[in-house]
Amino acid sequence: MENKGKRNPIRIVPPVLCILVLIVIPVFFRNPSFLQLMVLVLLYAYLTTSWNLVGGFAGVLPLGHTLFAGIGAYTSTLLFIELGLTPWIGMFVGAFLAMIAGLLIGLPTLKLRGAYFALASIAFLEGLRVVTENTKEIFGVKVNGPQGLLLPLKGDSLYYFQFDNKIWYYYVILFMTAVVLYITYKVSVSRLGYYLMAGGEDKEAAEALGVNVFRCKIIAMMMSTFLTALGGTFYAQLVRYIYPKGIMNLEFAFEIAFIAIVGGRGTIAGPVLGSFLLVPVAELTRLYLGGSYLGIHLVMYGIVLMLVMIFQPRGITEPLARIYNNILDRFEGARS
Amino acid sequence: MYLLEAIISGVTMGSIYGLTALGLTLIFGVMKVINFAHGSFLMVAMFVTYWLIKLTGVDPYIGLFVVVPVLFFLGFLTQRFLIYPAFKAEKDVREPISVILLTSGLWIFLDAMALLLFGAFYRTVKTSHSGKTLIFGDGDLIINKPRLYGLIITLLTSLILWLFLKKTRTGRAIRAVEQDRDAARLMGIDSEFIYDLAFGVGIALVGVAGVVLMPFYYVHPTVGVVFDIRAFIIVVLGGLGSIPGALIGGIIIGVVESVGAQFMTATWTEGLIYLIFLLVLFFKPSGLFGYKQEW
Amino acid sequence: MKLLEIDRLTKDFGGLRAVDRLDLTIEAGMIFGLIGPNGAGKSTAFNCIAGLYSATSGRVVYKGDEITSLKPYDVCRRGIARTFQLVKPFPTKSVLKNVTVGGFLRSKNRDEAEEKALEVLEFVGLIDKKDVLGKSLTIADRKRLELARSLATDPTLLLLDEVMAGLRPAEVEQVITIIRKINERGITIFLIEHIMQAIMSLSDLIVVIHYGKKIAEGKPEEIASNEQVIKAYLGEEYVLAGT
Repeated sequence: MENKGKRNPIRIVPPVLCILVLIVIPVFFRNPSFLQLMVLVLLYAYLTTSWNLVGGFAGVLPLGHTLFAGIGAYTSTLLFIELGLTPWIGMFVGAFLAMIAGLLIGLPTLKLRGAYFALASIAFLEGLRVVTENTKEIFGVKVNGPQGLLLPLKGDSLYYFQFDNKIWYYYVILFMTAVVLYITYKVSVSRLGYYLMAGGEDKEAAEALGVNVFRCKIIAMMMSTFLTALGGTFYAQLVRYIYPKGIMNLEFAFEIAFIAIVGGRGTIAGPVLGSFLLVPVAELTRLYLGGSYLGIHLVMYGIVLMLVMIFQPRGITEPLARIYNNILDRFEGARS
Repeated sequence: MYLLEAIISGVTMGSIYGLTALGLTLIFGVMKVINFAHGSFLMVAMFVTYWLIKLTGVDPYIGLFVVVPVLFFLGFLTQRFLIYPAFKAEKDVREPISVILLTSGLWIFLDAMALLLFGAFYRTVKTSHSGKTLIFGDGDLIINKPRLYGLIITLLTSLILWLFLKKTRTGRAIRAVEQDRDAARLMGIDSEFIYDLAFGVGIALVGVAGVVLMPFYYVHPTVGVVFDIRAFIIVVLGGLGSIPGALIGGIIIGVVESVGAQFMTATWTEGLIYLIFLLVLFFKPSGLFGYKQEW
Repeated sequence: MKLLEIDRLTKDFGGLRAVDRLDLTIEAGMIFGLIGPNGAGKSTAFNCIAGLYSATSGRVVYKGDEITSLKPYDVCRRGIARTFQLVKPFPTKSVLKNVTVGGFLRSKNRDEAEEKALEVLEFVGLIDKKDVLGKSLTIADRKRLELARSLATDPTLLLLDEVMAGLRPAEVEQVITIIRKINERGITIFLIEHIMQAIMSLSDLIVVIHYGKKIAEGKPEEIASNEQVIKAYLGEEYVLAGT
């Protein structure tokens, strides 16, 4: 929820409460499928919030962001397989590479108009996926093309970022999501955040106020790709098997974009809200109805997306935020 | 002779890609809207054709007269009841991004519904034209007849479209709205109706492509995806709003795909096509025939 | 001190010469006016100075440094702020947020930027509307917002492009007062205006351009009785009638 002018301490209570609840939940609900679902929900929350830095704040529409998750996943995994490097370090190497990739891709594409940028992002994603699928090995390092890479199993090992009990994955992704949310909040109240907003609202007006809109977009892009890559490594460690179509997946990239948008692009809580709403419903429909009604969760996704775009294109967070702020205001009023 | 056959195959297939792109460039040009559901409409057209042939045994090319109006109607309704409301809902923002997402939602919905209703099977249909070929010089050169018909019908359709846009009042109204919506309204043109019409025509074109493909291609709920992406690449390559651009762009892509397959794997040709796309986007975004777009 | 010097500034759009070897010098602290018939090239000249257009030839020199090829954001950072003829508020953001963007130019800290914004809003008289969204403002308030936003960047030179267009007489008076107050703070003002009484009463010096060329320069009284100026605005016949 965006912070209003008054920085009243009470406003920090609900988010903190949410985090506390999330920390405590797995202690009480130890059902493994529930944990599995929660890990998935949080992974989406993480990825959509990272996406939001460039898709929401910078006002462009990247539809190929899983490219960077792929860079992260492949980098950390290859370093692990070839050099035995712990993924905890490998993930940052991958993130750094993804950041450079973000810069190189952003430079020619961020000056394109919205629709063209979206298409270019798809082209880069599919292009890299295709190249990876056709690469059996590079400089002697086995990449395995379409079959992908299997992570050597190390059992329950903190050093190698592999856990038998899903609960540890849960806490890792919860921590990552909290960090990414904090970063998003910090950006939204910083000069970069305001400048990105201005560039998105009216580029000429923003430039006349001293805003180098292009440079701000590049910075946002680099931050986003860095964080997304970290998520890619998490995913690799979670499923312990990565292959081009699995991680550099176009449908997945679309999902991330539209969950963030349905939630509310450019807001802090929007993507998280979108994830908490849409992912469980999609997963549950897929699990319980998917057998007899193939792809029904996709039907649902499609309908939700269309309805939101017609009735509430800025996402569901806006109306919810108004209700939320009204309640908080009344609370403040009652105390004083 | 394989190379020549590959080229011809590329030209015929490419012309159909171009036909799909034609509808897209019309929509993109007139409404400045990306229709990500374009491929899904192609899939719908192919399913309609499939069931039409399966249930009535009618010749697919006669089926054109049923499929095309049906698709036109679908397009018209989609614009009026789905796209336009989303368009209006985001009037303040400069770029109609919500429409892109709406059409993405439609894409997902249509493909998923098809999956639900028809299952993930690859279906083909036998027609009186299936497998017929044109043979030159003792088997030196073999051309697949349905593909050839595809090329011919594509050229005819493009001609009809061109005449429609250039010579009829409605056609000129569409071009007027494409150039300057507000000025067109001041001239008394109902731009909302023109949008409905343009979208309908764009989808009707996809209907033709679907009919023409069915005799030699397969249908599957996700068949539209590849055509969709190709169509966008072609629109950018050929230039937004340009009819010859769409056709020529389509043929270029078709030939690259076909000839490329002779020398490298299918996935590398995919990659090559994306590379071409990106290069055009960076160095000549107005495409081969497009004019400089101001925003 | 010569704040802004324009030396043979020329801007061509294809075959059309919009600004033709324009020369002018603005001293620090003055209010400098630019007038001319519609289409004379005034906004084009502004856009060249502000970096939105690249000049075809000629130089723009600010505080002794050449700024001719600078981008708009660099021009702003040097201390030249501008408003737009067709106002451009950030529509979905509050007035305060709008102006805070300007405030961030001189300070990385949000609280400082916001404080600057509040101070400027107070100055232009928009403080009561600080939480109103950009798109919900009246035209007069939008003009004020535009002014406030550029003032928040702490400029030394302020370019005002027809900031009074579309306002009612009472509102025009208010804007004139604000402009005087801004100038009293030490900010040099270069303005384009069509409302003659306003620009005549405000300006220390006026330049008149027609078809991109300077046809007169001098104090307001001199301009008012200048034959060339009258001819340009009203046509040959009026010259004989005198003023």
